[in-house]
Amino acid sequence: MAATYTQPVQTLIDELGRLPGVGPKSAQRIAFHLLKAPRDDVARLAHSITDAKTRVRFCVRCFNFAEAELCPICLDDRRSGQVLCVVEESRDIVALEKTGEFHGRYHVLLGAMSPLEGIGPEQLKMKELFIRLEPEGVEEVILCTNPNTEGEVTALYIARMLKPFDVKVTRIASGLPVGGDLEYADELTLGRALEGRRELT
Amino acid sequence: MSRLYRDSGVVLRTYKLAESDRIIVLLTEEHGKVRAVAKGVRKTGSKFGGRLEPMSHIRLLLHEGRDLDIVNQVDTIDSVAPLMIDLDHITQGMAVLEAVDQMAMDREPNPQLYRMLVGALRTISTSDSPLVVPAFFWKLLALEGVRPELDVCVRCGETAALVAFDMDHGGVLCRNCRSGAPISAEALQLMRLILGGQLNAALAAPVSQASHEVNNHATRAVEHHIERKLRSVAVFERH
Repeated sequence: MAATYTQPVQTLIDELGRLPGVGPKSAQRIAFHLLKAPRDDVARLAHSITDAKTRVRFCVRCFNFAEAELCPICLDDRRSGQVLCVVEESRDIVALEKTGEFHGRYHVLLGAMSPLEGIGPEQLKMKELFIRLEPEGVEEVILCTNPNTEGEVTALYIARMLKPFDVKVTRIASGLPVGGDLEYADELTLGRALEGRRELT
Repeated sequence: MSRLYRDSGVVLRTYKLAESDRIIVLLTEEHGKVRAVAKGVRKTGSKFGGRLEPMSHIRLLLHEGRDLDIVNQVDTIDSVAPLMIDLDHITQGMAVLEAVDQMAMDREPNPQLYRMLVGALRTISTSDSPLVVPAFFWKLLALEGVRPELDVCVRCGETAALVAFDMDHGGVLCRNCRSGAPISAEALQLMRLILGGQLNAALAAPVSQASHEVNNHATRAVEHHIERKLRSVAVFERH
């Protein structure tokens, strides 16, 4: 195709098109929106991107995003170091924090094991997890990976590796979503919901 | 062009698509390997998300599309639950899926392969024998038309002292012609049972050095045939 856009516009569209979930058409729309927007607005966006990129890094202990050496959660003394919640991504921490139910610390694996894509334990922050346990006096590890095949493989693998350690290993329950219908629930979820039922008193 | 059809299938693998959809790769009974979009299955409230995990054996209603079909309804035939509780079962299941994914052809019906896959997954969930996957691999190769020769030396026809196995030549070799990897008499016997229709006898055999050997030969033979490494095997082999 002949160059329809001038070079800088084309570059902008190409770069935007590389973002997740942004197709060529959306990229074009965003690009034209930016070109029309006031210079200050665009500068602010550009600055916030470079600023976030330079200031944010991984927490050396739990691999959450952090502004300093340690992330706010690792720095918070009120949090219990005895319970450690293992998640796949930083964004899972956000979801868990919203529940307000968890007061321990986290460990981010930065992915999940995927045998079909060849992603094994080496590509994840597994070793980093195992060496944390003893110095931090962890008593319970909660495996909070996604309830899909990859998350399940990851959880089972970690559980196996943690056998020799003197820690309690638990897996988050899976069950029916609040507001859902029993009739539409799949067998696997419903089966697990039954398995993990609790007594009402 | 645009029509609905029903079929049974096994989910071979899934890819994420857009915000909350997935592309599901299935091996179906009547339509061969099919790629279909399942909309909204990554949301927690999805009607059938949990039924479309790899290894699920399901009955589906699909809407035929130009390239990708669309999943309309899903009903479970065999749940993945018994496979999902054990790391070894999952790994074995994944290895089977990967091999089938590599060998199955798009929209090319292969009911025999489908039946073998369903059988293999059922056997994995009930058996602890390490020979289930290698047995499946050998039978898969036999189905593909590359059944290895196990009774006579592929080079000179000698029937005694068969000591080596080489997939390049397609079978066993005697002491004089040997190339490839060595093979023990016990491993050879297991392979003969597997390919000779006595699978249950092979699966009932106690775990031994020979079963590891059969396993290694099977993996190498499949990799030789598909001309690429089996990733799911490599991920766990290092441990």
